[in-house]
Amino acid sequence: MKKIHKIFDHKWASTLLWIVLIIVAWEIAATVVAANNRSPENILPHLYQILAAVFSTSKVSQGMTAVMVVLTSAKATILRALAGFLLGITAGFFLALVMKLSGLLEKMLFPYLMLIQLIPVLGLAPIILAITGDINSSRVIIAAVLSFYPVATNTLAGFKSVDQDKYDLMYTYAAKQRTIYTKVLIPSAIPYFFTGTKIGAPMAITASILVDTLQGDGGLGCILSQSLRHAMSIYVFWLIVFFSAFVGILSTYLMTWIEALISPEKRGIRKARREYKKSAVSQKVSVCPQISIRRRKAE
Amino acid sequence: MTQKRKRPKSLYQRIKENTKIQTSATVILPVLLGVVIVVLWQTQTLHHLFRTDTFTLPLLDRIGSILFDNIDKIWENVVATMVVALAGLGLGSLLGYGIAMLAALCPKIGKGGLSVIGAFASIPVVALAPVMNNWTRDISDIASVRSMVAKILVVMLVAAANMGLNAYRGLTELKPYSMDLMATYAAKKRTTFLKLQLPNSVPYIFVALKVSVPASIMTAIVSEYFAEYIIGVGRQIRENIVLSQYSTAWAYIATACIMGVVSYVALMIVQSILLRKYH
Amino acid sequence: MSELQERGIEIQIRDLGVTFQDNAGHDVQALTGVNFDIYKGEFISLLGPSGCGKTTLLRTIADLQEPTEGTVRISGMTPKEIRLQQKFGFVFQQPVLFDWRTVKKNVELPLEIMYQSKEDRSKRADEMLEMVGLKNFSDHFPRQLSGGMQQRVNIARAFGIRPEILLMDEPFSALDEFTKEKLHEDLLRIWRQTNKTIVFVTHNIQEAVFLSDRICVLSPHPGRLSAIVDVDLPRPRTLEMKESPRFTELVYEVRGKFEGGSV
Repeated sequence: MKKIHKIFDHKWASTLLWIVLIIVAWEIAATVVAANNRSPENILPHLYQILAAVFSTSKVSQGMTAVMVVLTSAKATILRALAGFLLGITAGFFLALVMKLSGLLEKMLFPYLMLIQLIPVLGLAPIILAITGDINSSRVIIAAVLSFYPVATNTLAGFKSVDQDKYDLMYTYAAKQRTIYTKVLIPSAIPYFFTGTKIGAPMAITASILVDTLQGDGGLGCILSQSLRHAMSIYVFWLIVFFSAFVGILSTYLMTWIEALISPEKRGIRKARREYKKSAVSQKVSVCPQISIRRRKAE
Repeated sequence: MTQKRKRPKSLYQRIKENTKIQTSATVILPVLLGVVIVVLWQTQTLHHLFRTDTFTLPLLDRIGSILFDNIDKIWENVVATMVVALAGLGLGSLLGYGIAMLAALCPKIGKGGLSVIGAFASIPVVALAPVMNNWTRDISDIASVRSMVAKILVVMLVAAANMGLNAYRGLTELKPYSMDLMATYAAKKRTTFLKLQLPNSVPYIFVALKVSVPASIMTAIVSEYFAEYIIGVGRQIRENIVLSQYSTAWAYIATACIMGVVSYVALMIVQSILLRKYH
Repeated sequence: MSELQERGIEIQIRDLGVTFQDNAGHDVQALTGVNFDIYKGEFISLLGPSGCGKTTLLRTIADLQEPTEGTVRISGMTPKEIRLQQKFGFVFQQPVLFDWRTVKKNVELPLEIMYQSKEDRSKRADEMLEMVGLKNFSDHFPRQLSGGMQQRVNIARAFGIRPEILLMDEPFSALDEFTKEKLHEDLLRIWRQTNKTIVFVTHNIQEAVFLSDRICVLSPHPGRLSAIVDVDLPRPRTLEMKESPRFTELVYEVRGKFEGGSV
């Protein structure tokens, strides 16, 4: 019993427990569905059946296996999402910067920045497709708009989070405006910027898939619609569901990794942690670094 | 506090320090921008800019007149969408709060639930909606009912993730020593929760709602695209575009925007009433 | 005293007054009719209870606050001119450190702003960190340090730019007594080595007596200068002096200068 308690001291153990619980629930439901339904794979196939579809070599469409179909169409979707995402976060960062630079612009644009969050942008997908007439550019535009506003609002909050003491300090150094931006404001806003990208990244992918469904031009969403209409194996549908869920979750973690990679503080603390472990092993514990990274979130 | 100076100052400085001018500027400037946009739209300058025509991007007065002419039908769709959004928001927030409670009271088991539900938030709605449609196929013979349940389930997951993460912070990020204070009173877990953690989490609930109210409406609209039964503001946008009735589609887009703004304003009013004692 | 005067006047404050407007629009006099001189190389304290305008006075000297009345002259120039020549070192009550910079990089920051070469910066930062006893922590990040260590970094940074005048705003008020005593000795040692003028704001009488050549006693409502007390304890100061009868006398004398008697 004690051992079990100890296992749950690790955070991953409880995550694992929940994942196992979900898998068990899924399998029980799948068994029930299989007993009462004529085509259970449409509603809830067993997980091993989905897994089998991953490795299945049977051709589902134009001589391609299910996995090949999913991966080829995913390429178009994800590349567009990425292009839109990069465009959106760049625009979001610079808009926040410009709004910080000019009080006039901030006053003028701030209510609209709030407003854009309330507009169901995904609802605009069909109309943007109609205006641009090109599925690729509308995918990019919608992904850009969706990743734009979380980055813009969070980065702006980051610029505003710099306390007066830091401005005063720079003032006593007679620092130039440009220096204040490069050395104080922008570094302070970086963690907020990443909070924004963590929200924006899965949204960009959602946007890209959704636009796919509107027009038959390849892409995950398009294949998703086709498989739902039973134009190809239903397992393609399940593969897409799991694949897009995976990509969505991965995109958030990817942002966390990138942040950890470029943040000098996180890098430094990782190094300190490694060295501390090393010194602890060789019994020369000198200073225990207090490691705490506050979670920052913009309202 | 603003400093009072007895030295002569430039006009620019005087404008910058005059609080009345500054406050009115926060209202006047956005309104000015709005007027500029409306003028650009009505004079078709926007159409030249986007290389489009008044058929795809109808003039504002046309959208307005369609909105008023079809008010009954639009209202019916608004109700359908709002029922889905609000029911999903309510159920999802309760679910999220429940998981947050579990994580706060029994962190060893509950914390994993939080990370799992956080991951759910990153799953594209587009992938969730058809799955929910499949699952709800057998619950009712009436297409409109099972379709609605499917949409509510999707919204629920999105709202639950949001509420779970924020409520957990509300239940655990307490004032320093307040937990110790409760311990000195030998307060029961239940008492500590009711007297300390629950009230502390209320502002965080609103932080979550500020994000999940617009998100729920957007999710409801997107899940309508995949729903079996044709109803809702989102579905009407799509249906009308398929039929090349762009003006009607725009009327529904305007409706969607109004829905977003109105529900956000309503939330702000509720918050200002409920959070009075926190300030 | 005479020795101090021989060094010449560094900062001249004449009829200084600062008035704020509160949120209701009423005028609040933070400082009024302040007149005194600060000599070159002097350690002077501005002492008083909260609301006496000591921080406002310090900020006015640093050009962080413009006077409503009167003038401040530093070597014949305005505070703004001195600031633009980057001759101020300012130590805030909170250690204003940048989380994303290592300790050493934090000390180098003002030197970067002054366009010093990379080698000079690095050398100077190492010297300063050695001086405050943080040589082994140069690659740590601020959040890995204790409050006392952070304040040391802050002091190292302020001295790093070789300021003509060091302005310190209650730098030790958030620290525990043991750390404070250690930093007092360190500060006096560094001051002796560098011979800069230090203007030190505090609300702690013992601290002011222990550190200063002279103490400006300020009183609140409205903030004004009540008295200037000469501290004739010999230099270098040692912790044992705190037990001496003269120290106790001086503390008693300073306490008596607050207008309205007790504070």
